[in-house]
Amino acid sequence: MKPYVVRRVALAVPTLFLVSIIVFLLLRLMPGDVATRMVEGHAYAPTLAALRHDLGLDRPMHVQYAEWIGSIVLRGDFGRSYWTRQPILDEFVRRFPVTLELAVLTILVSVVIGVLVGIVSAARQDSISDYVGRVLSIFALSVPYFGLAVVVVVLPAIWFRWTPVWTYVPFSVSPAENLKIMLVPALVFGVTRAGPIMRIMRSALLDVLRQDYIRTAWSKGLSERRIVLRHALKNALIPVISLVGLQMPLYIGGSVIIEAIFRLPGVGLFFFEALGKLDYPVVQSVNLIIAAMVVGLNLLIDLSYAFLDPRIRY
Amino acid sequence: MPSSIPVSDIDRAPALKAPARRVAKSRAWYLDVWVQIVRRKPLGTVGGTIVVLMLAGAVLADVIAPYGYAQTSLRDRFVAMSAAHWLGTDQLGRDLFTRLLYGARVSLYVGFGSVALGSALATLIGVASGYFGGRFDLLLQRAVDAWMAFPPLLLLMSIMSLLGPSALNITVVLGLAFGIQNSRIIRAVALSLKEHTFVESARALGSGHVRVTVGHILPNVLPTIIVVATTGLSTVILTEASLSFLGLGVPPPYPTWGGMLSLAGLDHMYQAPWLAVWPAVALSLAVFGFNMLGDALRDLLDPRLKGG
Repeated sequence: MKPYVVRRVALAVPTLFLVSIIVFLLLRLMPGDVATRMVEGHAYAPTLAALRHDLGLDRPMHVQYAEWIGSIVLRGDFGRSYWTRQPILDEFVRRFPVTLELAVLTILVSVVIGVLVGIVSAARQDSISDYVGRVLSIFALSVPYFGLAVVVVVLPAIWFRWTPVWTYVPFSVSPAENLKIMLVPALVFGVTRAGPIMRIMRSALLDVLRQDYIRTAWSKGLSERRIVLRHALKNALIPVISLVGLQMPLYIGGSVIIEAIFRLPGVGLFFFEALGKLDYPVVQSVNLIIAAMVVGLNLLIDLSYAFLDPRIRY
Repeated sequence: MPSSIPVSDIDRAPALKAPARRVAKSRAWYLDVWVQIVRRKPLGTVGGTIVVLMLAGAVLADVIAPYGYAQTSLRDRFVAMSAAHWLGTDQLGRDLFTRLLYGARVSLYVGFGSVALGSALATLIGVASGYFGGRFDLLLQRAVDAWMAFPPLLLLMSIMSLLGPSALNITVVLGLAFGIQNSRIIRAVALSLKEHTFVESARALGSGHVRVTVGHILPNVLPTIIVVATTGLSTVILTEASLSFLGLGVPPPYPTWGGMLSLAGLDHMYQAPWLAVWPAVALSLAVFGFNMLGDALRDLLDPRLKGG
C-alpha cells in the first residue's frame, strides 16, 4: 500500500506542473488585453507602458511564468489581483467555505436521493417503484440545473410571492439562516446531479445481488433488509463513490453558475467576476488551486477503494 | 479454406438454404442498428423521434417560424400564449416559438460541429496513443491527465472569455475539449485491437503503420466513435447552453436556448414566466432525446461502454 501511495503522489506532481503550464499559456496566447482596458477605461496608470511595467507584463513570458510558479512553490504566494491589488489566496480562503458548503450539501442531496432511489429500484426490480425511480433518473439527467434554478427562482415568486433569500449570511453568524439560504441552491443542484448516481447505484446493486455470497446469505435465512443493506450495499457503493469522485469537477464547475444565480459569494462568483475583468492572475491561480484540489481528491478516492474493498491491494 | 474445397451439389443444397435466407435479410450494421432501435428500444425510439423533430425544426426554421427571430414588436411585449404567439413573446415583443426554433439551429450547429471536430480529434489522439504506445503514449496521456484535472466549465469559461463569444469560437473550443476528454475511450479500444491477430497478420503482410491504423484499426473503432459522439451530443449541447447562459457562448441577437434563459433576462421573467419555462423545457427535451438515442445506440453497438 505504502509504495502505491508514494507512486500516486509522485505522479500527481508532473500533472500539476502541466496544469500550471496549460493555464498560463492559454491566458497568454489569447487575444484580449487587460492593460489597455485598465488604462483607457479606468485610468489605472498614466500610460500603457507604465502599467505594463507595474504589472510585470513587459517581461518575457518564461520569466513571468517562473515568477508566478516560483512564488507559489516557495512562498505559497498565489499573486495579487490586477484590479484590487489584493492577495488572491486571502480572497480564495475567505470565499472557499461558501463553495465548500454548497458542494458538500449538493453531494449530500444527490447521494442520499441517488442511493435511496437506486436501492429501491434494484431491490424491487421491474416493480412500479423501479419504474418510478428510473423515470426520475431520466428526468434528473435531462433537466439542466441552471434551467431548473431559473424556473425555481421565478415561478414560486409569481405563485406564492416566495423568493430565495438574496443576502448571504455566513454559517458562523447564524447556522439556521445560512442553511435556509443554501438549501434551495443545494436542492436544485443536487437533484439534477442525482440522476447518474441513481442509475449506477441500481445497476451496481443488481450486479451484486446476483452473486453467490448473496445467495448464501439468503439461504442462511437472513432478512432482506440485512442482506441488501449490510451485505450487498457496501460492495455496490464502490462504483458510486468513483462516480462522485469523477464528477467532482462538474460539481465545482456547476457551482460557478449556481453561485451566480443565487448570488452566493463563493469562489465560483469570484472566478466569474475575475473573468469578466480579464484578471489573469486570479483566473490562473483559481484554476490551478481547483485543479490541484481535483487531483488530490481523485487520489483520496483511489485510496478509499482499498478501505471499502479489502480485496483491492496495490 | 472452405471455398476452395470442391463440394458436390448434393452436399451443398440443403446447407445453403438456411444461410441464404439470412443473407437476404441482413443489412449493413449501420442500417440494421436503426431497425433494432425501433424494435427493441422504445425509449431510444422516443429519443430518436425528438432528435428528428428538432432537426426538422432547425432546418426548416425559415419556413415554419411565423416571425423573424429578431423581429421586434413593441406593441406585443410580454404577450402570453395565444393564437398569434403560440408560446408568447418576450420583453421586445419577439415571438418565443420562433426564437426556440432558431435556437435549436444554434444548439445543433454547435453540437454537431464540435462533436464532429472532437470525434476526429479523439480518434487521432486515441488511435495514435493506443497504437504506437511506449513513450509517446506516456507523454501524451500525461497531457490528457493535466487537461482532465480542470473542471471543464472553468477551463471553457476562461478560454471563451478571452476569445470572445462567437458561434465559431465556441464550436472549436467545445470540440477541442470533447476530443481530449474522449480520446481515453478510443485509446482503450485501440489498445485492445492492437493485440488482435488481424493486426499482426496485416503487419506480417507488409502493411505500414498508416495502412494498419486507417485500414484495419479505424473501421473497428468506428462503432465506439459513433457511440461516443451520440452520447456526447447532449453534454455538448448542455455545455453550450451553460456558456451562453453566462454570456460566453453565441452572442445576441441570435437566439440560443441558454441565452434566452440567462440571468440578464431574469427581471423580465418575473413578468413573463414563460420566458424561463419554454427554453428550459426545450433544452431538457433535447438533452433527453440525445441521451436516450445515445444510450440505445450504445447498448446495440458497444455494450462494453455500458454503465459509465
